[in-house]
Amino acid sequence: MDISKAPNSRKLQLCRTYLMTGFAFLPFVWAVNVCWFFDEAFRKPAYPEQNQIKRYVIYSAIGTLLWAIALTTWIIIFQTNRAAWGATADSISFIIPLGSP
Amino acid sequence: MDAHVSASTSSASVSGAAAAAAAHEDGNMSGASERLERPPRRQKQQRNNYGSSGEGDSPDGAVLTVPSVVIRDSTAGPSRLSGGGAGGSRDGAAGPSQQEIEEEQGLKYGAQHVIKLFVPVSLCMLVVVATINSISFYNSTDVYLLYTPFHELSPEPSVKFWNALANSLILMSVVVLMTILLIVLYKKRCYRVIHGWLILSSFMLLFIFTYLYLEELLRAYNIPMDYPTAVFIMWNFGVAGMMAIHWQGPLRLQQGYLIFVAALMALVFIKYLPEWTAWAVLAAISIWDLVAVLSPRGPLRILVETAQERNEQIFPALIYSSTVIYTFMGTHTPEQPLPTSSSSPSSSNSTETTRTTQNSLPSPDTAPGTSSGSRSGNSRHGQRQQEQNQAAAEGMPLVTFKNNLHGNAEAAGFTQEWSENLSDRVARRQIEVQSTQSTNARRSNEYRTVPAPNQPQMEAQEERGIKLGLGDFIFYSVLVGKASSYGDWTTTIACFVAILIGLCLTLLLLAIWRKALPALPISITFGLIFCFATSAVVKPFMENLSAKQVFI
Repeated sequence: MDISKAPNSRKLQLCRTYLMTGFAFLPFVWAVNVCWFFDEAFRKPAYPEQNQIKRYVIYSAIGTLLWAIALTTWIIIFQTNRAAWGATADSISFIIPLGSP
Repeated sequence: MDAHVSASTSSASVSGAAAAAAAHEDGNMSGASERLERPPRRQKQQRNNYGSSGEGDSPDGAVLTVPSVVIRDSTAGPSRLSGGGAGGSRDGAAGPSQQEIEEEQGLKYGAQHVIKLFVPVSLCMLVVVATINSISFYNSTDVYLLYTPFHELSPEPSVKFWNALANSLILMSVVVLMTILLIVLYKKRCYRVIHGWLILSSFMLLFIFTYLYLEELLRAYNIPMDYPTAVFIMWNFGVAGMMAIHWQGPLRLQQGYLIFVAALMALVFIKYLPEWTAWAVLAAISIWDLVAVLSPRGPLRILVETAQERNEQIFPALIYSSTVIYTFMGTHTPEQPLPTSSSSPSSSNSTETTRTTQNSLPSPDTAPGTSSGSRSGNSRHGQRQQEQNQAAAEGMPLVTFKNNLHGNAEAAGFTQEWSENLSDRVARRQIEVQSTQSTNARRSNEYRTVPAPNQPQMEAQEERGIKLGLGDFIFYSVLVGKASSYGDWTTTIACFVAILIGLCLTLLLLAIWRKALPALPISITFGLIFCFATSAVVKPFMENLSAKQVFI
């Protein structure tokens, strides 16, 4: 949908719903929220709901960032220690890479 | 998965496209037809002549006129449409030259929308071709769908041929059955069932098939990954996709998900259909598309017409739309009941309008009626009221319609035509509603919704672009993907070009005939011809040329 034509209260409600949904381990939804409402929050002329939208967008951005850091850290730890952890690592491996012959 | 291309919004095509899983695919596919829809020939003068119920009932018979309807086309400069005044035939004042100019403009902006369709179609094909070429999993058929009991294992071409024929017949009958089921459900207003079906289908695609895709992708590139990360990615991807497709999300995201879902479905077909069957199915589905859209009793035609009558946007999950679909009914939540004509009497110019709409709106059962989903539960009376109410709401964009806010020429596309068409439809429906009501003397006065003439404060506008059903995306991609699975780039590119040319021709016909058209037949026919001709004639010829070092 085209957010620029929705009434302001609808925008606020959508932004809030996206923020709340994001708490269910859904940083991607937060990222979408940030991209989607960034213009609304920071580039549009001020309107009453804008402050709250701005807050939600910032929270979403922080959440996205935290998740990105956490995920990257975990992936780095896992990848570097995969061989060292042995069977434990294998048991949580989705794809075990094949060695080159 | 029907694909429809529709220039007008209201015709939603039901494409089951995304749908589902193999099991469901067929059903949805039934929709495989695509339609190109375009509003009928534009009319110069917009008359809203609601009175003509022919009942002789004097209040009903009254001709309500719109004082001054001016639809401005920002790109065209001068206002092209000015209707109003009393009575008069629709085509009345239009001079032939002006009409020609308008047709020309229609074609021109139509062409811009066509180009807009090229990008997603090409992207979808690109995803499929890239996957076919990099992930060998999708290249070989070892497991078969339930619908194709004959596996073409015999080396004999004749046996393969009848296997393919039988398989495609079975598959097509499933498709036809599912289409008919869908139409019946839609006719009976079982929206919940249909939505449940579509949600289930896209759920399977977004979670299960995406999971398989991710696994094969990682395996192909030999990338290690742990389960927590994989589950996390799937969860995020799937839920965001469900939100974007079935609820509300940014347009780009929705388009992206639809393209991905179509590509995934195409990959499923390429993977699980035996080789000859795949080609036979392509031919059969394009014939079915032709029949379903064009024959007077074709299911997809019935579907589109029903949708137009109800003026609904059906199942956005199944259609790719090149612009925003901003539906009135869907976007106004009950708690902010329609900022329509009625709610602001002061702004509307016609007193009659305000009176009548005020009558119709505040009735309790109308507010929830604005969402199509809630409709099924209503009583018949409620439905009728609702329809009135919707008609009232629909009247709005007609009048207040403006082209894209930013004056972007491209967005102008079919919008004006669409709005004219809309008015036509609204008028028709209103007449229908009135005539049904004329039996009810008490209420006969209530319903006189005339689109309020000027409402600058109205924010809800509808922009409608061309729509192409996901079924089209799927089968185009199946064709190109299948061609590329032989590892020959000449054939692949020939197919790609042929399909795009077919799409152009279809859209040209759309401009000429201005009605819903199937998008598959021309493209698929071209694609098949080019594919076999290229692999049988052009490729050996090119190989000979390069072997002999002849350059032409």
